[in-house]
Amino acid sequence: MTVVIGFEGSANKIGIGIIRDGEVLSNPRRTYITPPGQGFLPGETAKHHRSVILTVLQEALDEAGLKAADIDCVAYTKGPGMGAPLVTVAIVARTVAQLWGKPLLGVNHCIGHIEMGRLITNSQNPTVLYVSGGNTQVIAYSERRYRIFGETIDIAVGNCLDRFARVIKISNDPSPGYNIEQMAKKGTKYIELPYTVKGMDVSFSGILSYIEDAAHKLLSTGQCTPEDLCFSLQETLFAMLVEITERAMAHCGSQEVLIVGGVGCNLRLQEMMGVMCKERGALLFATDERFCIDNGAMIAQAGWEMFRSGQVTELSDSWITQRYRTDEVEVTWRD
Amino acid sequence: MPLSIGSQTKHVNMAACMSENGSDKKLEFFLKVPFPSEREATIALQSLSPDPEPRKGGITKNLDVSGQTLSVRWTADEARILRVSVSSFLDHLSLVMETMDAFGPPVSQ
Repeated sequence: MTVVIGFEGSANKIGIGIIRDGEVLSNPRRTYITPPGQGFLPGETAKHHRSVILTVLQEALDEAGLKAADIDCVAYTKGPGMGAPLVTVAIVARTVAQLWGKPLLGVNHCIGHIEMGRLITNSQNPTVLYVSGGNTQVIAYSERRYRIFGETIDIAVGNCLDRFARVIKISNDPSPGYNIEQMAKKGTKYIELPYTVKGMDVSFSGILSYIEDAAHKLLSTGQCTPEDLCFSLQETLFAMLVEITERAMAHCGSQEVLIVGGVGCNLRLQEMMGVMCKERGALLFATDERFCIDNGAMIAQAGWEMFRSGQVTELSDSWITQRYRTDEVEVTWRD
Repeated sequence: MPLSIGSQTKHVNMAACMSENGSDKKLEFFLKVPFPSEREATIALQSLSPDPEPRKGGITKNLDVSGQTLSVRWTADEARILRVSVSSFLDHLSLVMETMDAFGPPVSQ
């Protein structure tokens, strides 16, 4: 029996989760939500995490009904992500690991998403679409690495959505992406936007500039509604993601797709991906908001796999890093 | 100067001085933090030392434990850079102390 506690705080969510042999015992989380029109900055985000982290940690233990002695390993997000929040969380993880006399494990945030997706959906060897506010990658496993087949060459798809939300002052509660999704359902007019797939990769910063400009022009002249813009943006962005996912599937001969990351909660994205999968006779896997949005249990799960295959992080090597490629990690727990 | 965390007030010694070295004016800052035991001072050291300074140049920071005391020494080119680094360190230090208060004491080895 192996019990791992995982600490996650690389963006505006702070979550701590406990996993015991594939069972999620607890997974509390708090989100730092900024007023409409504003994004979250590193210093303020770190301050938010600092103010709640010890409470959330106690909640994680209480909900799981466990004491420190029951934990076998302390996992935390080593990177990638925002520096200040990562440091805040790592400091607490290091401290409790030492107080409790438990080994420490630095986890790659992207791999946390993948391993949680695999655990929850039980997919065997999927092509993974990892889409969030900070990352956009198409990943497939091969020979002890999660290989990046395609990715954004500039900003993440979630970042494009979040920054567009700021332009038209959409609420960030519970998340800007969720509110764009709701508004998009009421859109009726399709506004043509640039479509920027670059081979295996995608680009979003051009679309963002274009739609920010278009929003000002079209909304002031009443040529379209904010709902129409939300609808058009989603259709364009998601079609691009479906295209690069399909391209990777063709390369790998894969019959499974797994969507992970906060943008993976979006039902329209799941619907569009489902259409493509059905055409290819492939299976689509996705998780709900408990697990696709950043959470502590996903770090615990990746930590569980790493720990069981013999990995440990020395305290002197436990520094956080804002840049951490998914394929830098040796996946020692898979063949 | 007293650094208060909850019911505990630790007296922390700080000193800043400027040493002239020809045209190089380097600022130095020292901090000595007492802990209830050497073990806890070492835990604090190991929690606070792994991450590099966000700013690559213009500042150095060295942590050390001697007995029950964690000592920190900074050298910086500009007061502004020094202030930011010290302020950030004190935030992190108080987080370590709060964590120790809530989830300590350390288990026996």
